[in-house]
Amino acid sequence: MSAEDNHILEPQHWVERYGDYLYNYAIVRVNDTQKAEDLVQETFLSGLKGKDNFQGKSTERTWLISILKRKIIDTYRKQYSSKESSMAEYEQDISDGDFYRSEDPFKGHWLEGKGPHSHSLLPDGEMEQAELMQVIQTCISLLPPNLASAFVMKMIDETESDEICKELGITPSNLWVMLHRARLKMRQCVENKWLT
Amino acid sequence: MAKQIGYKIMVFMSKRMLACDEASFLISYKHDHKLGFKRWWQLKMHLLSCHLCRKYSHQIEQLNLSVDQYRESCSHDTSTHHLSDNANVKIQHAVSSELNSN
Repeated sequence: MSAEDNHILEPQHWVERYGDYLYNYAIVRVNDTQKAEDLVQETFLSGLKGKDNFQGKSTERTWLISILKRKIIDTYRKQYSSKESSMAEYEQDISDGDFYRSEDPFKGHWLEGKGPHSHSLLPDGEMEQAELMQVIQTCISLLPPNLASAFVMKMIDETESDEICKELGITPSNLWVMLHRARLKMRQCVENKWLT
Repeated sequence: MAKQIGYKIMVFMSKRMLACDEASFLISYKHDHKLGFKRWWQLKMHLLSCHLCRKYSHQIEQLNLSVDQYRESCSHDTSTHHLSDNANVKIQHAVSSELNSN
């Protein structure tokens, strides 16, 4: 039997081999250095505890990532259960006073300066790809945590909507409103990065 | 038949226009869903008359594309972020002591 057919675990090499890999995966999804480091450590420790469950069908790395994924979703879930119960109602409402006017007769219209300024979100001409990626990452990290987790699950992990609702314990309409709010804030954040 | 469709269109047109909050919600929503005819029409009518929401719609498309690129770059790139030396030592220590305790 070759090594490719049956993977084995070598925990003594985990940190050097996969430490940065898991950390990259985590930091993109939780946007908090400390939390990401803790998640990496917990992943290795859970891996050690559960190493008898490893059947050698996937690589070590894939197996560790699957543990990390679970832990990230648990972090998201904790954010939700710690919020007041009124959040569900709040997230139903698309009219956000931070962005739209709330008084008649212009109820629901863009607030001055809160709508888009320029036609294009991105500056004209040459732009470093790396710079744009940095801006996207920064703007995700500036989202309120509950919006960030919904946005990342949907847009970065491409999780099915039903699955997101199930994991986070929210309704589909909560989710659509949250994704809308996340995009409102993301758009504003990215545009402001170029304006300033 | 044509008359019926014409009538339906008139009904849709006479519905009140969407406000920008509803229109921008639909712009986001249609990234993940196909809009029904009524909503699609209402959005279309709103966009005809509202230059801010036209910009918004264009920018959200650009945002979605940028986030797609970001996702791709994250899945290939493992060198952007590194565990700090402190964290490395700490985690290595935790793993080693767990290994030795077994």
